[in-house]
Amino acid sequence: MIELRFHGELYDGFAIDEAAKVYGPFGVIDLAREGDAFVARVTVGAAARDQGVDEATLAAELANYALGKTIELRGAGGGHGGAP
Amino acid sequence: MADTSVVLGEGSVDLELDEGLYPRDAIYGAAYVFIDRCYVLLDRVAGGRIKVALRAKRGGAADSAALAGELQNELLAQAWRRAIAEENRALIEQVTTRALAGAAGPPGLDELLAMDIGEATAFEDPLGIAMSWEEKYAKKKAAPQVDDPPDAQGDPPPEKGS
Repeated sequence: MIELRFHGELYDGFAIDEAAKVYGPFGVIDLAREGDAFVARVTVGAAARDQGVDEATLAAELANYALGKTIELRGAGGGHGGAP
Repeated sequence: MADTSVVLGEGSVDLELDEGLYPRDAIYGAAYVFIDRCYVLLDRVAGGRIKVALRAKRGGAADSAALAGELQNELLAQAWRRAIAEENRALIEQVTTRALAGAAGPPGLDELLAMDIGEATAFEDPLGIAMSWEEKYAKKKAAPQVDDPPDAQGDPPPEKGS
């Protein structure tokens, strides 16, 4: 299990919820609010592991999705075209 | 404490920034640029600072020094772009408003019906639209003179009542 902590000032709660929904089929993702932080506990599922998905990658992809969605929701994208 | 501190790892970079120097939107913008080739995580650290952690994805660039340099360049570019946009905000809004107003075209029937026309303004016709063609373009007659002169043949003017 990998625990990710997203600071409440820097990440949008809706973005984290959406990331958990998107990556939920690959494992178990528990969300909790602890103080200033949103905490996501990520455990990869057996089926996903059999397909070659490791827990660190799943957690990192979830974190990237949450950040990207947060930036899009805040309208602060760079405008360089470098985003996915 | 320095404004920016960099820790290089193997294919990873941890950069701590002063939010007073780089606005948060600039940090978001720079992070967004790297999100397709790196795993990016933001965190708040002590002293009003933000930590940006980059880790190259598999098959991505693994030169952490180059990654750190690119990130710093991007941060500067984003901060500068936002400063310029802020300086020119009034001008941009003015130009946009004019463009939208021009694209809207002439007023439609609804706008004309909604116009406030009162008794004082209802019969004003500064462009002469309500005038007949004859009224508008007819040759003006010469103003009659006080003493009627004889006509071209030298005949006296007809007597009134004849």
